[in-house]
Formats: sequence, structure tokens, C-alpha cells
Amino acid sequence: MKNPAIIGASIPRLDARQKVTGQALYTDDLTLPGMLFGAILRSPVPHARIKRIDVSKAKALAGVKDVVTGADTPQVKFGNWRLVPDSQDELPLAVDKVRFIGDEVAAVAALDKETALRACSLIEVEYEELPGYFSVEDSTQEGAALIHAESEGNVSLARKIKYGDLEAGFAQADYVREDTFRVHAVSHAYLEPCSSLAAPDEGGRVTLWTSTQVPYIVQCLLASTLGLPENHVRVIKLNTGGGFGGKMELRKWEFCAAFMAVRTGRPVKFTLRRADELASGRRRHGMPIRSKVGFSKDGLLMAKDFDVLLDGGAYNSMGPTATFLCGNFGAMLYRYPAYRYLGRHVYTNKPPAGAMRGFGAPQALFAAETQMNMAAHDLGIDPIDLRLLNAMETGDEIPEVATISSCGFKESLVKVRQMSGWDVKRQEKKPGHGIGVGCYSFISGGVFNWFNTKYNFASAEVRVFEDGTAHLLTMATDIGQGSDTVLRQILAAELGIGVDKIRLTASDTAVTPKADLGTWGSRVTLMAGNAVVQAAKKIKEMLIPVVFGHFDLNQIHDIAFENDRVFSKARPDKGFSFGECVYKALKGRRGEPLTAFGAYTPRNKGLVSPAFSFGAQVAEVEVDEQTGLIQVHKMYTAHDCGVPINKMAVEGQLEGSIHMGLGYALMEDFVMKDGRTLNTTFLDYKIATAQDMPPSQSVEIDTYEPEGPFGAKEAGEGLVSPTAPAIAEGVFHATGYRCLDLPITPPKVLQGLGRLKG
Amino acid sequence: MATPHFTVHQPATLEEALDLLGRHRASVKLLAGGTDLIMKLRGGAMSADHLVSLNRVGGLNRINYQDEDGLVLGAGARISDVAAHPDVRKHYPALAHACSVMATTQIRNMGTVAGNLANAAPSADTAAPLLAYRGSVVLVERGGRRQVKLEEFFKGPGLTVLEPMEILEAIRVPVPPGRAGSSYLRLSARSQVDIAAVGVAGFLALDLDGCMMGVRLACASVAPTPVRCPEAEAMLEGQRPDPRLLARAAVACVRAARPIDDLRATANYRRAMVQVLAGRVLQKCLSMAQGGAQ
Ligand SMILES: Cc1cc2nc3c(=O)[nH]c(=O)nc-3n(C[C@H](O)[C@H](O)[C@H](O)COP(=O)(O)OP(=O)(O)OC[C@H]3O[C@@H](n4cnc5c(N)ncnc54)[C@H](O)[C@@H]3O)c2cc1C
Repeated sequence: MKNPAIIGASIPRLDARQKVTGQALYTDDLTLPGMLFGAILRSPVPHARIKRIDVSKAKALAGVKDVVTGADTPQVKFGNWRLVPDSQDELPLAVDKVRFIGDEVAAVAALDKETALRACSLIEVEYEELPGYFSVEDSTQEGAALIHAESEGNVSLARKIKYGDLEAGFAQADYVREDTFRVHAVSHAYLEPCSSLAAPDEGGRVTLWTSTQVPYIVQCLLASTLGLPENHVRVIKLNTGGGFGGKMELRKWEFCAAFMAVRTGRPVKFTLRRADELASGRRRHGMPIRSKVGFSKDGLLMAKDFDVLLDGGAYNSMGPTATFLCGNFGAMLYRYPAYRYLGRHVYTNKPPAGAMRGFGAPQALFAAETQMNMAAHDLGIDPIDLRLLNAMETGDEIPEVATISSCGFKESLVKVRQMSGWDVKRQEKKPGHGIGVGCYSFISGGVFNWFNTKYNFASAEVRVFEDGTAHLLTMATDIGQGSDTVLRQILAAELGIGVDKIRLTASDTAVTPKADLGTWGSRVTLMAGNAVVQAAKKIKEMLIPVVFGHFDLNQIHDIAFENDRVFSKARPDKGFSFGECVYKALKGRRGEPLTAFGAYTPRNKGLVSPAFSFGAQVAEVEVDEQTGLIQVHKMYTAHDCGVPINKMAVEGQLEGSIHMGLGYALMEDFVMKDGRTLNTTFLDYKIATAQDMPPSQSVEIDTYEPEGPFGAKEAGEGLVSPTAPAIAEGVFHATGYRCLDLPITPPKVLQGLGRLKG
Repeated sequence: MATPHFTVHQPATLEEALDLLGRHRASVKLLAGGTDLIMKLRGGAMSADHLVSLNRVGGLNRINYQDEDGLVLGAGARISDVAAHPDVRKHYPALAHACSVMATTQIRNMGTVAGNLANAAPSADTAAPLLAYRGSVVLVERGGRRQVKLEEFFKGPGLTVLEPMEILEAIRVPVPPGRAGSSYLRLSARSQVDIAAVGVAGFLALDLDGCMMGVRLACASVAPTPVRCPEAEAMLEGQRPDPRLLARAAVACVRAARPIDDLRATANYRRAMVQVLAGRVLQKCLSMAQGGAQ
């Protein structure tokens, strides 16, 4: 049932006015009476044993109310992969060892920020330095010191995927190539730096306001690290200025705020500076990727062998998931009769890599899509034709992994070819100009229960009132992507009331129904959306009998919920306003409020995701062959996100993805020396600006995802993947220079063209 | 990196400003647009208890061009106003261009050309065009005024000949001769909005015989200070323009550069780009002087 006035409409964010007028509250805007300011002392060395910590001078400083080190804490290890306790390799504050420059060693709470920072500088730590490893090659070499004693050769985990007969595939292939790609780490660069405020509550309870993507996960892990029952911890997310995967774990300042709030009996707030974020915050995994692929002479894929070392930095973080997804996306999009993947997650003495928009897919797809373009070149087949020849379709199965329940990939390829003028531009090449293609697929949430939750993956509670309004309560977490708007659209469409009639309470773990795993993996629209639909359906079940009873309708009537009315479809006059209907139902229930709970947990959906998005993107570029400068003139995108619930939001996701993909492809890079990040301001760490953004044209392919609410699936995370390979192919088409290691910088272009000495 | 605390003084006249500098000499800085200064105070690279703002000093934001005296830019002239000024655009197009492409809209609306020079970053975008136009700066202190050629003004990264109690009052640029061309090109290897990795400015005029005269070439971001390229200038002075000569002059510009590797670019890339940009700048200067398109 589709309600066109709401589903697929371009509805501006319901919180847009508050945000642009500065009224919207973010965590750092909060001040509580008696509040203390926190600061963190971080390790200045990449790998060392802690010999001694002396906090006496810091404690003696006037205005300091608390100083804590690892020794003061319960020392409970944590990590998002609760299902595999061995993978939980972090402590709230360092004990015995530090593993990267920036590792949290101690925390101070003081009357003001300056004093807290001063006190940090008075803490004396004696380190015994250990060898530091800054590349996966170095840390996995024979005899390297272990960064974590429990790991084997600094490999924290390995994932394998295997299907089909690999040997036979390669043996039968007419064309086999093997390449090594290198992708780099980049920053999430969310605009709101991390901020957390904890306040002690009665009975030893604690409340934490925090900038997070995962209130429920923070609640659980904070409780276990503090040694409190889960429900003694209340986590509230206010407005959050982006996350992109960088805020999807329990962070150490969240622990420190809560821990010190309990110790001091006063609220404690931590807000990170941009320099902290860039120097020691989470980042995207860098990787060397070795890929071997075989084709028949007419371009059919025969086999692929994909071998990846993920540079995980000092801790596992979300690396286990990225390791798995990287392997999954090494062989998505096309039909691979045989595939083998080995992904190893490697510890190095660098800031931990975590989840980041695409979660392993941008890396895998840069390699896979670039290799596809290289093969097309060698085989003399147009890159789009080669893709069409091998493209997945609706109903395809990835053995033991997933079934593709909707797929608009071929349509995307056909459409993007047409809208970009591909055929003409590929053939009638102008000097310095080029056009390239890259494609993507992505998950609509994960089915694997790595957090080991006992609750549903997504939940919603809906309450309806006699004034014709509704209240939606959900732990689903809007961090700027707009789910607060989209979930209200879904509820409004289902109940047939206006979006403006719906009050929303979200992301407060003491109030909203358990549980929701948070915002990551493009899961919210599909999963929380399904939970909302289920709750709304239950409400409708309570209201329908009222109409039948009141108008004494024959059983064959069907009841419609539209335009704030509930009525018989065949006899629209037989019905009343939504509010009146609720009023009548209430009377029948002797005043018991109409409330319903809905939930969604994917079942029997394979190992990866209930639904996959697909799409193709074309980049038109111009390269100045004397300076190596690359200008992206235009991006064309055709993509399949199922039924878009909010077209404007989907467009926003696409723009944002191009922005991030552009930075990944051309300009973002951490400059590191011996484990230290040198570019820690936005002046030095370059993200694309509005001036760098190319114009973009896009089309959504008309598909319907049976598993999604109103046919919707993922939009916005997968889209970050095709940009880099499309630009790289555009640069190759323009100049003949093929980039296998991101980012594609002007000096690399000139070196590739033999115009600049290495 | 605590939040800095300081007192801001807002004098209405230059005399008052000089008095305030003297009174707080132990820990004082001049504040123009603040786009460099505030960053440094916040980041801890600089500290001061007192800031003397030039923003309310009367008459300091003048932009004045006269056919006899040339251009005078008051120390308060904002980068965006200089970029938009019709006389600057007409007579000093390379300066107008530098002022319209550097930094960001917000920074250009606050920042001043004087602050850009006094800050003395090797990458200062207004420096190279002003060197090419033979600019000088007027420096004032309580004892009196002096005029210093821009090429003698810079002493190193962040260092100038400015005395602690001295204020850069104005920038003066002579009237360029007729049949002249000038250009400034800059590039960042990363983003449209970035500190330049290399900048090259040029100026030349043609005499009645069509020979080049008054040639000036200057580079930014490739040495501890913005620099002139005397060898390339000398190669061209008095010569007929010839593509091969221009190309050789572009190579000579590289010899004026002493670039380093930094976050923005390698020395190697910078050297190569000095040659490319110098070649393009000379081409553009020439075609402008010959009456071609600007
Ligand atoms: C985001 C960003 C981007 C930028 N991009 C660029 C760029 O692309 N190119 C570029 O060249 N610069 C750039 N800058 C640097 C800066 O904006 C310029 O140097 C600007 O011109 C400085 O002028 P101001 O008036 O703001 O100087 P202020 O910050 O006020 O002062 C700078 C220094 O000069 C001194 N000073 C100022 N006026 C006088 C005076 N009259 N006499 C004596 N001393 C004085 C101050 O004491 C201070 O030490 C950028 C800065 C930022 C923050």
C-alpha cells in the first residue's frame, strides 16, 4: 500500500528549521549545575609499556576534582563484537600498555577546561618504549613484537569465504590478471566533534547524553565496564552532527564521563577538539588488496581470488565486520562461479580503524571495479558492456550468503550510459578529457548478531490519541541522515495521518522500546521502518473493529486510513476522523490508551543482509597533463534504492556520497610519520569543499524491495563506493595513467605519465 | 591549548594605536582581520595579553588610485574589497585575481592585504603580484614613517623588517606603463580551497620596438619568503619575445625556488610547477601586453 502524498515525496527535514536557526541542541550545548569539564591524557608514544603513572601533581592543582587512570577502573574489556568475547580488546583507560599515539591513559575532571588540560600536563607517565609497527607488512613480519599478546602474529582475526571450483575456474579462463591495489585511511570528518555529558542519578544510576550512532550499544557496554546493571545506565542522544561510522562504539570519554560523575557526584562533560579527532579518532581501514580474476575470452567472469590485509590500527573496533564485508563486496555486483576470499585484520601501532561509510565496500569496490575496467580495456570490450554481461539480477543467489530479492543493476547501467552520453564520449575522445564508470552494491542492514542482543534488531512503539495525533517512540538514531523524518513518513503513510501529527521520541534508552542496534550499515530505514509498520498495523487492528461496529458494516468491506480519516473504502461516508475513531476505541477500552509495539529482526536472510542496493556511476573528468590537476566536471548516477521514501533525503545522501567519494579519490589523506598524524586541522587535512563539488545528475531506478517498508531499501552508504573507481577510470581514459593506489594525486599523475621524477 | 584570554583595544586614530602599542609593549599584537592571528592565538603558536585592533582606525581602509601616484591600499583594506575595486581590476589585474581566488569568501571579507603581508607566510597570495608590480609598504612608528620596498620587507617565514612598535600603514604600488601585461597563477594539488602549493606572478611591458621591459617574476610557497626571480627577469629584459626564450626563463624561475617537502606538496612537485606556471604566466603577460585578451 503506497501513499503517494507521503511515500516518495520530497519532504524537508522536520528538524531543519531548528538546525539552521541554531536552536537545535547538541550535547556540548548542555550545561548542568556544578558541571565539571573533562580532559584526557593520551599516549605520546606509539607502543610502550607503562612503567609508572604519578598523578599527585595533577590532583594537587586547584580546581581539579578527580583524576583517574586505568588502575582506578574496574578494568573490564569491551568491544562491539560481544558475540566473540575474545575480540573485545579495549580497556576504558590503558593498563600496562599503550598501543598508539593518542591511546587514552588518564582523565581529569576540573572546574574549567583550562584547569583540566593543565592538570593533564602535570600527570607523569614513564614509558618503556616497544618497537612500533606502522604498516601491515611490518607488523606481520616474522618475529614482530605482539601488539596484543593474544593475537597470532598481530593478525587479530581472519575471515574466509569460498564457493565454486576456483582452480577449475582459473584453468578454464582465457584471460587472467592479478593486481595489487592500495587504499588509504581517511577521516569521517563529521562536523560535530564527539561530546559526552554524564550526570549521577539517584540510586547509583547514571545518565549519559552523548553524540552517538548507537545509544543501545553504549548503554550495554557502559554498564558492563562500570559494573552496573544495564538499566542503571540511561543513554540519551540529542542532535548529532554526523557520524559516518565514527560514533558507533562505546568511546573512552563516555566511560570517563560516567565513571567520574559517579565518583564525584557531579556532572562531567568531555568535548573533543578537532585536532584530537583527526590525530587519534577512528578512521577508514587502509588495505593492500591483491586480486586475481579470470574471464573467458568473450568476457564472462570465471573465478576470483581476493586477498586483503586490513590495517586495523591498535584495536579491533569494528574491524571484524569490515573484514567480512570487504570479502562480500569483493564479489558482489556480478556472477562469480567461483570465489575465494581471505581477509586478515592486522594490528598496527596507529589509531584504530573502525566502521566508516561503506564498511569495507569502498576499498573492495575500488579494487574490484578498477580491475573490471582494466579487464575491459585488455579484452577490448566496453566497460559497461562487460558489466552488463556479468551483472547480477533479481533472484540471484550468492551461495550460503544471500539471495538478491530485488536488483536494478542492469537498468542502472543502461540508464547511466544513456544519461551521460557514454558511447559518444568514450569514442570521440577530446585531449585531456575522460569518462569512467564505477558501480556499487550495498547492504540494507546486517543480519549477523555480533552484538549478541537478546532483543529485536529494531523496535517501535506507537501511541495514538483522541485528538488525532500519534506518538512514535523508537531507539532508531538520527545522526543527521534524516531517519526522524523518514520514520514519521512511514508511520504517517500507514496510519493515513499527516506527518505533522506525529510527535517523536527517539534514542533515549530509558524511554524508547528495546532495542535498536543504531545507525550503521544502512539499516535504519529498512529495519526501524519495518518495526514502525508493524506497530502501526497493530494500532489499525484496534481501530478497524470500531468502524465495523459503529456502521454495522458487512464483513466484505475494506477499511482505509487516509487523509486523517478511517472509513470504508467502498462507502467513504461510513467512517470518521482518525481522532474520533481513537476516541471511540478508547471508550470501548474503558480509557486504556491505544499503544502498540512493533519490531523487526531479519530471519532466514542469509549471512549478510535482508536486501541489497545497486547502482552505477559515471564521472567526467579533465586532467591538466602539465600540472596533473584533475577536475571532475560531472557525475552521473543511476541507482536502485528500492522505493525512495523521501526523494529529497535520497538526493542529499547522493550529494554527500559524491562529496565523500571525491575526497577519498582525490584529496583526503593522513600524513603520518612514525605513527604520528601530522595533519590535524581542516587546513591541512583536506576534505572537498562546495567549490570542489561537480554538478550531479541522478535517476532512481524503479524497483520494489519486498523485504523493505513500502518497498524501500538502502540509499546513501553504498553510493560512496563507485566514485573513486569511476574517477580513476576517467583519469585513465583521459591520460593513459592507471591509478592503483588512492588517492589519485597530481604528482602521481605526472609520475605515471613520466613527467615527474619519483 | 587553553582558550586564550586577552584585552582588545579599539583605537580611533593611528596615533592612539601607536600609543597603545607602546603602553602594552610587553605583550601586544596588532589585530586586523584576525584570520591569521586568532588561529595562532588559539593554537598556542602565539600569545598576547593585549590586541590593538586597526578595525576602527579612521581612513585606514582606503583604496585609492591616481594616474600620477599609482595605488594606495590602506592597512584596513579588505581582500574582497581590493578584489572588487574597479581601478585595481583595471590596472593591477594580477593582484585583483589573487585577491579573488585566495582563501574563502568569509576569510576574504575579513582579512586584509596588509595582514597578509605582515603575517609573512611564504605562501601569502598577495605578495607575489605585489612584488611583480614593484609594490612597497609604508611603515609608521611614533618617531616617523619609512617606505620599504616589498622585496626588502620579508625576512623569513613569519618574519619581516617591521619593528615591534611599528604599524604597516599602507601599501603603495606605482602606475604600470602602457602596453603592459601581468598575471598571477596559483595551484593547490588538493582542493579549490587551500593554501597555494605554488604561486607565480609576472609583469612585463613592451617598448616601441616590441622588446620586453620592466620584466618582473615572483613566486610564492617555494622559498622561506615570497621571492623574485632575478635570473629569469634579466634573461628577458630588452629581448624580443620568443617562445623558446620564454620557456628558458620559466626554467630559470625554478632556480630562484628553494622549496621544501611539506603537507601540501613535495619540493619536487613544487619545482616542476614553478616552471609550468611561470611559462603560462609569461604567455599570458605577453598576450595581454600585445593587446590580446586579458
Ligand atoms: C581558512 C583560511 C584560509 C586561508 N587561505 C589563505 C590563502 O589562500 N592565501 C593566503 O595568502 N592566506 C590565506 N589565509 C591566511 C589569512 O587569511 C591571510 O593571510 C589574511 O590576509 C590575513 O589578514 P588579516 O587582516 O586577517 O590579518 P591578522 O590575522 O589580523 O594579522 C596577521 C598578522 O599580521 C599582523 N598585522 C596585521 N595588520 C598589521 C599592520 N597593519 N601592521 C603591522 N602588523 C599587522 C598581526 O599582528 C598578525 O601578526 C587563510 C586563513 C584561513 C583561516
